[in-house]
Amino acid sequence: MASRGIERTNLAGDGSSHEGFLRHKSYRWLKIASLLCLAAIVAYMLIDVEPRPNGGSWYGYTLGTIGALLILWLTLLGLRKRAMTRKKWSLKGWTSAHVYLGLSLIVIATLHTGFQLGWNVHTLAYVLMMLVIASGIYGVSAYAFLPQALSDNRGEMTGAQMVDAIASIDKQIQISAQPLSDEDSAVVIGSLGEDPFGGGVYRRLTGGALKGGNAAALAYVRARLGEVGGGEAAIALDQVAVLLQRKAGALNRIRRHVRYRALLEIWLYVHVPLTFATIAALAAHILSVFFYW
Amino acid sequence: MAFLLRNISRSASGREIIRESRVDEDLLRIGRDPNSDIRLNDLAVALHHATFELVGGDLLGVSAEMGLTIEIDGSAVGFGRIHLPSGGDVRVGPFLLRILPKAAGSADVAIDIERAEDDAVLEKVDLRRFQLSSVMPGKRPMAWISVLLILGIFMAWPIWSFYQGRTESARYAQGYHPDRMWNAGPLSRSHASLEHNCQACHVQPFVPVRDQDCKACHTAIHDHADPRRLAAATPGLSGFRRLRMQFGAMFGQTPGRCVECHREHEGAQDMPPTPQQFCADCHTDLRSRLPDTRLAAASDFANGHPEFRPLVLVNWSGEQPQMQRLALGANAREMSNLKFPHALHLDPRGGAAQMGRTLRSRYGFGDSLQCSNCHIPTPDGTRFQPIDMETDCGMCHSLAFDQLGGTIRTLRHGAPAQVVGDILSLYRAGGPQRPAELSAGARARPGDVSQIRAAVQFAAARNNLGMRADQAVRSVFSQGGACFDCHEVTPAAPGRLNYGIRPVAFPTRYMLHGWFDHRQHLVVQRPGQPRLEGNEACASCHGARTSNSSADLLLPDLNSCRACHGGEHTNRPVASTCAMCHDYHATAGAPAMLLRQQARGRRWESTVIRVNDPQAAAPQRQ
Repeated sequence: MASRGIERTNLAGDGSSHEGFLRHKSYRWLKIASLLCLAAIVAYMLIDVEPRPNGGSWYGYTLGTIGALLILWLTLLGLRKRAMTRKKWSLKGWTSAHVYLGLSLIVIATLHTGFQLGWNVHTLAYVLMMLVIASGIYGVSAYAFLPQALSDNRGEMTGAQMVDAIASIDKQIQISAQPLSDEDSAVVIGSLGEDPFGGGVYRRLTGGALKGGNAAALAYVRARLGEVGGGEAAIALDQVAVLLQRKAGALNRIRRHVRYRALLEIWLYVHVPLTFATIAALAAHILSVFFYW
Repeated sequence: MAFLLRNISRSASGREIIRESRVDEDLLRIGRDPNSDIRLNDLAVALHHATFELVGGDLLGVSAEMGLTIEIDGSAVGFGRIHLPSGGDVRVGPFLLRILPKAAGSADVAIDIERAEDDAVLEKVDLRRFQLSSVMPGKRPMAWISVLLILGIFMAWPIWSFYQGRTESARYAQGYHPDRMWNAGPLSRSHASLEHNCQACHVQPFVPVRDQDCKACHTAIHDHADPRRLAAATPGLSGFRRLRMQFGAMFGQTPGRCVECHREHEGAQDMPPTPQQFCADCHTDLRSRLPDTRLAAASDFANGHPEFRPLVLVNWSGEQPQMQRLALGANAREMSNLKFPHALHLDPRGGAAQMGRTLRSRYGFGDSLQCSNCHIPTPDGTRFQPIDMETDCGMCHSLAFDQLGGTIRTLRHGAPAQVVGDILSLYRAGGPQRPAELSAGARARPGDVSQIRAAVQFAAARNNLGMRADQAVRSVFSQGGACFDCHEVTPAAPGRLNYGIRPVAFPTRYMLHGWFDHRQHLVVQRPGQPRLEGNEACASCHGARTSNSSADLLLPDLNSCRACHGGEHTNRPVASTCAMCHDYHATAGAPAMLLRQQARGRRWESTVIRVNDPQAAAPQRQ
């Protein structure tokens, strides 16, 4: 399950062969979190809360306290990750606990609600927390699968090399397109002006190209080739078409790279801000409960 | 005139490479076309982009082709002029054509041609653009904004509205107030009207809902018992439970508060019936913790319930009736001070039935007397009104003793001294007239025993057989006399006629701590037996048909009820929790559970009219 990228992170001198954070210490935290969930579920079924399970019973308060403390502790990973250590409380162990205890919150918080949800601040806190967890699940799976795709796509090229490739193709297009008519060259200029990084978040996540630009130029030049038939113009157009085709490949490589990176990074833009939103909603939830006791 | 062109480019190391050429014409064509005088090989330049033309001696006309522009000294135009002695810059696409100031006397116009954008093209690409962060707002600002928004909307705003609502409560109760966002769940149906009025119950911040806030509306709620006795009676709490209570008490959640049982925000539901175990927890062995209690152990109606102990009149010879709770059984006798054999009256072949048949047209009697002929239900149908002599007994039992013309004189019921007086005055009037009963008139009422007897006595007196008025009075109050037949007579002092009648009690309710509704039992069907109505239904519980004495307490015992009623979990037709007959909050009326069922339209008959008058249960003087 652990990704190639993660496996490479081998801290020299560990003395043992590498294992990813998910299977850290033979799934120690998975076992602990599962036990926690199991205990919570069994207690939930055994304890008869009248008239129906809810967060205000003693068991509800217990689960709520555990859940709130867990949320605060999980948030501390943001601080903890900035200090990489080994041994007993290694960052890897901490991350492993973060993932599995974070998942156990699904059970603990849901039991805390007693399955009573509504349009209120209490459910807001619950929903925000679930979104944080969902984004975390996405993040873990993204880290598992996307680095491979990212690596395959770049083909040992660096980012700068990818950009340089575009620039050098652009230069060749400049030269080859000199004989083109004003009308034709205007379209080819559209290719030269294309920003491989253009577009917003959505375009990055979907990997779509901008309208016009290289793709339009390529389509146009190909169409013109059919019209022109032969002669010098045809030779020039043909050269340009080949170059535009090459540029399309280079652009796609960059776009895919940008897309994978976006997919790899987007979850943190949900996970982190929503974590703080959750803590704020949690504060409002706890205060409101005791304000209107 | 000639143009001197200097084409400047740079090598990779930055060294300038200058190529010079000379054009001996007055007109320069500029464009991408290889045949141009100045060839600018960039796609941003048109094949034929612009033309330079010398105008006069000192002016250079610059004109772009139709639809194109050039930049002369920083302004984009289609046409312009450059004053040659001072020179000027023309920009075409990425190229800068610098017209150098013409030296005085020179005939040549020198133009430097340079690609202006070379530096920009070589500029390093910002690799950060690969990262998503280049198009996303920062995580930190997003976190801050959402934290502030949530705290503002869901915490600060409701708190503000709470303190606002305390000063403007009327507006608060009507308009929107954001503390509704704190509502943890719908209120029960009976409290639905308070749904949007949080402060009706939540009066003090950080203080659990107080009993006094419940009692603001629920003014008639009684405590189940004295709180200290209640606490003592509660079965031994587990250590954990005690810990929880101590923990709760630290935060003002004292045990026994209303909300401990009546929990809210649990959904728009009805209050559930009190489970039997709730009562049984304490009452199964109450005496072990509360040795002085008079309550017997009870845990389940079918398997653990004491015999009924109705409140019975055991003696009423003095001023005050003596009431006592007796367990039903052979020893339970009621001293109602009335002589009334039910068996005699209900016997279908007896004299009472016979008389009923003769009075059928007048009172609507059937072939025999029915219970309902004398026992009239209270308006709510729950129980029965006290027997009234004039309307109930008087249908058959006349107190007539004389007739004057068409008027029948009757002895006044309930006033023994008046009876004595009336009889004495009959004798003093100079001899009685012949009573109508002895004539052949149609007024004679069959079975009017006392009347006949009076007439006979009257006749004897008339015949001077030595019977005096005093003796007539004595005979009325003695065995065989009209009063004596039904009443307990207190004897007169020797030589006097001050007879008295002991007061008669007609209890309407025997079990003050339990509820029984007769209307629910008008039709009775015991398991495996036919469906009974009317007399049969009454007789299936009350053994009136075999009772020869009014001292018989004709209440059905526990086993009679158990034929149909079992405990909460039972095979018998009617599962009965404690709450069906007993109310936790100890009111005299119907148990709250039945009232709630009534309000929710689940009962097939009504018990909605509550008997609020506690005196209704006390013996009534007739």
